[in-house]
Amino acid sequence: MNPFRAAIAVARKDLVSEWRTREMVPALAQFVVLALLIGNFGFQIDSRNAPSIAPGILWLALVFAGLIAFGRTFAAEREQSSLEAMLMTPASPVAIFAGKALAASVLLILCEVVLLPALSLFFGTPFSGDLVVAVLLATIGMASLGCLFAAIVARVRARELLLPLLTLPLWIPFIVAGGQAVQSAMGLPGSYDQAIGLLIDFDILFVVLTSLAARFVLDE
Amino acid sequence: MSMVVANGLTHRFGPEIALDSVDLVLDTGEHMAVLGDNGAGKTTLLRILATALRPTSGRLEIAGLDAFRERRRLRHYIGYVAHNPGLYPALSAAENLEFFCDLQDVSRSRVAEALETLGLASVAHRRASLLSRGMQQRLAIARAILHEPRLLIFDEPDASLDADAADVLGHVMKGRTAVIATHDHALANRLCPRTLVLRHGRSLGTATHLRVVR
Repeated sequence: MNPFRAAIAVARKDLVSEWRTREMVPALAQFVVLALLIGNFGFQIDSRNAPSIAPGILWLALVFAGLIAFGRTFAAEREQSSLEAMLMTPASPVAIFAGKALAASVLLILCEVVLLPALSLFFGTPFSGDLVVAVLLATIGMASLGCLFAAIVARVRARELLLPLLTLPLWIPFIVAGGQAVQSAMGLPGSYDQAIGLLIDFDILFVVLTSLAARFVLDE
Repeated sequence: MSMVVANGLTHRFGPEIALDSVDLVLDTGEHMAVLGDNGAGKTTLLRILATALRPTSGRLEIAGLDAFRERRRLRHYIGYVAHNPGLYPALSAAENLEFFCDLQDVSRSRVAEALETLGLASVAHRRASLLSRGMQQRLAIARAILHEPRLLIFDEPDASLDADAADVLGHVMKGRTAVIATHDHALANRLCPRTLVLRHGRSLGTATHLRVVR
């Protein structure tokens, strides 16, 4: 059994389902734009303080959009009782987990396609390749952790409450390193390369750890 | 040769005993029905036989392999239909099966054959959410036979099927070992020469050509 084939099949299935139902992406895009609007009205933004305030608003919007996106990945499978059918196949649980995480990451990246230009528009901050790279690197690690905890809490009733409680503390490294990288990309002092290096390290660490843990979480 | 050998299968959900020391031997090609009231332990037994649930204690061998050590290997041998069809509502009938072909590592050419067998060829491109409950159940059965399993396990497959349920099930069970949980005694007698009766998680024994005595 080729695990890549299984992972791609799971991701494609989730993305086709989302494309046809359009349940998640339009709602998430509206959510991030509203979060930016609130941030824009809530703070007195000018050209001097925008680069220090905008990264905070960006990460707040991303974190809460991520919680919604990742929370639905396994909850929907449990609700329609399809997870057991998937786990009854010879496909490895790690491949199934990777496919779900990949699809959830793509959905969050689609939100970022709206979020990053909107951030520049509302806050007048520069939009650059460095900014995109920092956000994408953080998305990878956040997706692997978010999907793992989504799989763990999917079988309990209070999952909407438990998911942020479990996930947010472990997302802090991404928010700290990602925040530093985004601030540097927006022209504030700080080492961009060092922050990106940290993000890559965290990505490797958490992708490996969550892949190992996924086997035990999904196996029964 | 025995396809299923179970010794002392016991399962607890917290303090509740769902299944209590059930022994079972099923020969290759044999069909057996599992009868019992609601809460008798039928679904728990079937989920254990399908290797979807690990028993609290007891031993299970399927096709001569330890069911829980060789679980992933055995999944090539087992086709399981749960009480709930567990389909993807936004995908068509054919797409649901194609997805499971990818996970089962079998050719997608099996899809047309499975749909034909279950009488679903005319609705192959209809979304699963638009199929009737009976058609969804047939689609779940089609999914279970995609990889040509040797052992079929059906949890109340007749619950939503129409009058020709017995013919459909009889057709897919032909040449395979099968275990069916059902409340329909007539269906059990027609499809399965042997019946296991459960009550409060305990086996009341197996019988051939069951006569129901309450």
